[in-house]
Amino acid sequence: MAGSEAHRAMYFDLVGEIPLTAHGIGLSIGTDAPLDLAYVDQIAALVDRLKAPAYSEHLAFTRVPGRDLGNLLPLPKTEAVAESIIAKVRTIQSRISVPFLLENITYVFDWPDSELSDAEFFKLICGETGCGILLDVENLYVNGQNYEFDPYAFLDALPAGAVKEVHVAGGVTLHEDFLPRPFAADSHSHPVPEATLDLLDHALARHAPRSIVLERDDRFDATEEILDDVALIRARFDGRFETSHAQPAVGSAG
Amino acid sequence: MPSRLLDRQVRLLEHLTSGAGIFGTGCGVSINQALPGIDGGLLHLEARFSHEKRMAKIEWVLTRTLDLLGTAKAAIIRDFVEACPPASISRLENARQFHDFLSARWLSEAPEPPYLPDIAAYELAYATVRADDSEALAVAEDRLLPPGAIRRHPNVVLVRCAYDIRPMLEGRTGEAGPLRRETLIAVALAPGTDDPLVSELSSDLFELLEMLDGFADPAIFADTPGLHKLIAGLAARGLLEVHA
Repeated sequence: MAGSEAHRAMYFDLVGEIPLTAHGIGLSIGTDAPLDLAYVDQIAALVDRLKAPAYSEHLAFTRVPGRDLGNLLPLPKTEAVAESIIAKVRTIQSRISVPFLLENITYVFDWPDSELSDAEFFKLICGETGCGILLDVENLYVNGQNYEFDPYAFLDALPAGAVKEVHVAGGVTLHEDFLPRPFAADSHSHPVPEATLDLLDHALARHAPRSIVLERDDRFDATEEILDDVALIRARFDGRFETSHAQPAVGSAG
Repeated sequence: MPSRLLDRQVRLLEHLTSGAGIFGTGCGVSINQALPGIDGGLLHLEARFSHEKRMAKIEWVLTRTLDLLGTAKAAIIRDFVEACPPASISRLENARQFHDFLSARWLSEAPEPPYLPDIAAYELAYATVRADDSEALAVAEDRLLPPGAIRRHPNVVLVRCAYDIRPMLEGRTGEAGPLRRETLIAVALAPGTDDPLVSELSSDLFELLEMLDGFADPAIFADTPGLHKLIAGLAARGLLEVHA
């Protein structure tokens, strides 16, 4: 958690006042090296202090010894890699007092030796460990735009109820000379596309997430746009559940 | 048969953080050899995304410094990328890397404008104090310390500037730029506040604070007029820590 002590204290002042959850970007669970247990233990203490109902991280890697890209990278989707992740998830579950969730990422490239689909990879890891899923519907939408990837098939393949939290966002489309086609990027900077909201709808038919977070990292001055997004998400949610079941929240995450 | 995953992850990050990966076109033969089966154009996109994210972190801390690099900025950043791969996700650590890189460069190449090292040191100091890692710096309580022992607060950064950059920081510098005049600045966080306080200090006070790395008994300054008031004032500005 970045910022000064006074700044951090402001977050802890919110405990019990508004719904909070714990979401990380620094674990790099997919690095083919032992977990940083000191980091995991720091997270455990933070999660307890925040009284967070869950702790989530990305099914990805960001660093190797000596280099930290600070950006989420995909893993080869193989049974061997899944086994390694399963062992790490069990370690995390043994050290953190709340349920652990894994988030699907958007990726710019895939490894040539990937042999499982995204859904199969998630199902294998979550099935073996009982860990839940933080579903980023915008990431599904973006992957669907960029690759031969059917986001609805991904959703349908997940076990009902496996999704515990949801992230929603809006991005941009890049047009680059060196790419054969326009590329959708998850920039957390623009309104949530209608197609992403439709995916959210589809997900809510089979899952009852505890929270829905609207991620926003840029153009914060577009207040009306952000509030419209919240209203649209709330409308999709209310169409499925009583509002007391869960409270959509606005926030920013990785 | 793919090699060990960690080896491939290392090769990938080496490529994504390299000048060729970031500024190239992604069409090089070496990419295909090092990372077979992955499209070079997509790797270039990933490398550029990550680099832009890193530079945004550095710019958040060293805004004026980057601006003052002017037309040399692009070439300097290319050299920086090759010399200093990212080692941390933190804004401050990335900015510190860039500052260290610039400082080393200025040993062999005169900074332009000449007051740039002062601006860079000040901006890094400000961000360091705002991040407030003083908890991590705090020493274990020493029961032998006399009550009222004082030291420089762990979250103070002292900056010895060759130029008077204060008008520039306050946005009131003329076309001539800062005057050459030794200016001694302390950046500190007053208790209970979030925004660092920037003060110009006398040389006596600056040197005293430089010396006060560890706790000292204030009795050694007993002949200083108005000592208690002075200590209280410096503590209120976040410059001194007084042992309870």
